[in-house]
Amino acid sequence: MWRDTFPYLEVNNRTATVEHEATTSKVGEDQIFYCNQRGISTEDAVGLIVNGYCKEVFNQLPMEFAVEAQKLLAISLEGSVG
Amino acid sequence: MLTIKNLKSRVEEKEILQGINLNVKPGEVHAIMGPNGSGKSTLASVLAGREEYEVTGGEVLFNGEDMLAMSPEDRARKGLFLAFQYPVEIQGVTNANFLKTAVNEVRKSKGLAPLDSKDFLVIMKEKMKLVEMDKAMTQRSVNEGFSGGEKKRNEVFQMAMLEPTLAVLDETDSGLDIDALRIVANGVNALRSKERSFIVITHYQRLLDYIVPDFVHVLYKGKIVKSGTKELALELEEKGYDWIKDEVDGVKA
Repeated sequence: MWRDTFPYLEVNNRTATVEHEATTSKVGEDQIFYCNQRGISTEDAVGLIVNGYCKEVFNQLPMEFAVEAQKLLAISLEGSVG
Repeated sequence: MLTIKNLKSRVEEKEILQGINLNVKPGEVHAIMGPNGSGKSTLASVLAGREEYEVTGGEVLFNGEDMLAMSPEDRARKGLFLAFQYPVEIQGVTNANFLKTAVNEVRKSKGLAPLDSKDFLVIMKEKMKLVEMDKAMTQRSVNEGFSGGEKKRNEVFQMAMLEPTLAVLDETDSGLDIDALRIVANGVNALRSKERSFIVITHYQRLLDYIVPDFVHVLYKGKIVKSGTKELALELEEKGYDWIKDEVDGVKA
C-alpha cells in the first residue's frame, strides 16, 4: 500500500514532532482485510480507516478547520489506491 | 453450497493444508477440530481469501462458482462470512457506520437499494437482541477497547446483520467465559436455518455442547483424518488427540 510515496516533510516549527505514515507503518492490512471480508472494497476500506483515524484528530480542531480538513481528505483519497 | 476438493495451501515456504476435502450442504453445521497447528485457522483464512495464504492446489466451489478466483469482498458479497479469531480494531469508525457501509455494499452487489438510516436502525435494534448487545456498543469504534467476549459477540452481531449463507467461525469460543460462550452460541443458534450453513472451527468440545453440529471432522497435519457425528467430539474430549495422531502416524499407542 502506497509504496511509491516519497516521504518528505518540511517542518518550520522547532518544537514539532512529525512522522510520515509511509515511514512508520503500513495502513493496517489486517484492517483492510477485515473490511474486505465484510464486503467493503479496498478503496472504500482505506477511506473508512483513514477517515476514522483522522476524525479523532479533527475533533481537536476548531470547527472551520475541521470541515475544511474533511473535504481535503475526501479529495486526496480519490484514486489513491492502486 | 460449498465443495472443497483436494485443497492445498502454504504460508511462506510451509505447506499447511495438504489436501482438504469437504462437502457442506445447505443448513448443515460442520465442526472442524484438531490439535494446535493442524491447519484449522489456515483453512478459514484460505476460504476468506487472505493474501498471505497461497493456494497451491485443489478447488473450492461456492454455490457452483470458483470461489478461489473471487476477491475477498466478492466472496463476502456472495454470502461468505468469517467470524475472526482475532477481530480487528478500527479507530474512529463506529460499529454502526462500519456495518451500514458493509450491509449496503452487499445490498448493492445484489441490485438492492441501500438502506436509509431509519430502516438500518430498525434492523440493527432487532439483531442486537440476538447477542444481548446494548446501544452504546454500536456507537463505539469497531472493536476498540472491547473485551474478548464483546469482540466475539460483535462478530456474531455482524453475522446477523449481513445474513450470510455460509458462516465460518474461527475459534469463536477462545477466550470466552461460560456466560459469554452461552450468549455467542445462542446468537449462532438463532441464525441457524435450512438455507444457512456453518463451519465451526474449535479446539474444544465445549462449544459443541451449545452449537450442536451435524458432522465433526478432525484436522491433523493439514488433512481431514477422521469424520463422524457429534459423538466423535465427545470421544475426542475424553481421549484427547493422541489416539488419532497414532492412527495417522502409524505408531502403536
